[in-house]
Amino acid sequence: MHSTTSASAEHEPWYRYGVATLLLEMLIAIAVSAYSLYVTFHGQGGFPGGKLIG
Amino acid sequence: MSTHKVEQLVIATVGFFWCFLMWFSTAAFSPSIAAHYHLGIKALGLLASSAMWMAPIGRMAAGWAADRFGAPRAFAVVLAVCGLVSIASAYTTSYPLLFVERILVATAGVSFVIGIQHVAQWFEPREIGTAEGLYAGTGNAGAGVGALLLPRIFGTAYQAAYLWLGVGALAIAAWYLARGRAAKTVARRQMARRASGWKGAVFVWSRYIALALMLAYAMSFGLEIALNAWLPGYFVRGFQAELLALGFTGVAGVQIAAGTFAAVQSFTASLFRPFAGYMSDLFQRRGWTPLPFIARTLPYAPRLHWLGIALVLITLAMAGLTAAGLSGSLHGSVAVLVVLGTFVSFATGGTFALVPLLFPDRPGLAAGFIGGLSTGGGIVYPLIFAGQSDIYSGYLRVALTLFIPFVLFYFWASRHERRPEEHGVFFTARAAPAE
Repeated sequence: MHSTTSASAEHEPWYRYGVATLLLEMLIAIAVSAYSLYVTFHGQGGFPGGKLIG
Repeated sequence: MSTHKVEQLVIATVGFFWCFLMWFSTAAFSPSIAAHYHLGIKALGLLASSAMWMAPIGRMAAGWAADRFGAPRAFAVVLAVCGLVSIASAYTTSYPLLFVERILVATAGVSFVIGIQHVAQWFEPREIGTAEGLYAGTGNAGAGVGALLLPRIFGTAYQAAYLWLGVGALAIAAWYLARGRAAKTVARRQMARRASGWKGAVFVWSRYIALALMLAYAMSFGLEIALNAWLPGYFVRGFQAELLALGFTGVAGVQIAAGTFAAVQSFTASLFRPFAGYMSDLFQRRGWTPLPFIARTLPYAPRLHWLGIALVLITLAMAGLTAAGLSGSLHGSVAVLVVLGTFVSFATGGTFALVPLLFPDRPGLAAGFIGGLSTGGGIVYPLIFAGQSDIYSGYLRVALTLFIPFVLFYFWASRHERRPEEHGVFFTARAAPAE
């Protein structure tokens, strides 16, 4: 694996909160997906959202 | 007035979130509108598809406007116009007029590229992936939140929803104008303004690397919106016996189950997007360049490799989706969809971690071209999915006939070790054209 010359720069304080936010969003995605799949595969309805665009 | 880049990120994200609420508020209330105006299935389909009509051209124009006039002004105009039309649509009693008004409100979707430009003007290259990912991923959730909450808050009273969405848009427009600043420095702002003419636009549109990124976004975001429209019908037709075996009987029950399986893809693709931006930053920090052929010494080379990995993974997952379908496995198909949604997010986040770095003097023009034209995928892919001899083979056909050539073109366009944006048609000069 080739390595570039970029040194690991020190991040500003906001970055830690930004990463925490994105981790929270990932957890929400995993939890909602797991829950909606669980209830659907057990014939109990489903999660009606999901027209997400970017 | 003092400000901070995080404040600018928050303003852009809130504005984008609200625009997405408005963009998909028509779809959220389409059953109520259909019942109110006694619409047939064709009219309902036309109303649903109208949300995408303005995206390709509108986003290109919005990107240019962000460079020319600054993101706060451009974003405030979009919010104000869409907000006023949304309020007007709350009092409309004629369906043809309502249809036209909702198309105009759907132009709120063009705000995506304005916010991309705004964030790019404030954040440094080492953190751009996470910043753009937070903006786009969090803002995207507006569509899902709208689909979930608006019908629950307003019931069938879509007029009240459109009124309050419009009022909210006007308030955010005022906030954007009051607190938004176009760029971190005057020099950065002036550079974007100077490069925003027609020559600059043609320069961006004719770059091989811009075309490659546009195709990469068509492989990811274009695929995401295509699957949003296609998957509910796919599960109903392709797995009807399996859905009935789960206990879903009747049209409504089968639609709920099929819609749930389809939603998992888009939900994952949206909320993993910030993580994809973070991964792009991580590749950059660690200097990871594992792929062959793609440049390794460019300042942003690791980000090119991260996106290349995502594109290869999407292609493989598409083949996997066909394999799971042909095997008749509902569980397998849903599992592949979760994986595919994650890979799609890797590419959407990876693409816009690169765009501002490749075209730092034309972030709006580049974002508009790449984020706009790529939405055509949402129209093309479902036609291919539907045109196969069986309903399961379309994913593999798209992977073989479109995605593999797209990936090869991406590798080819990303091979230059110095200034890849110099390579294209029309302009071959080292310096970009001045206006």
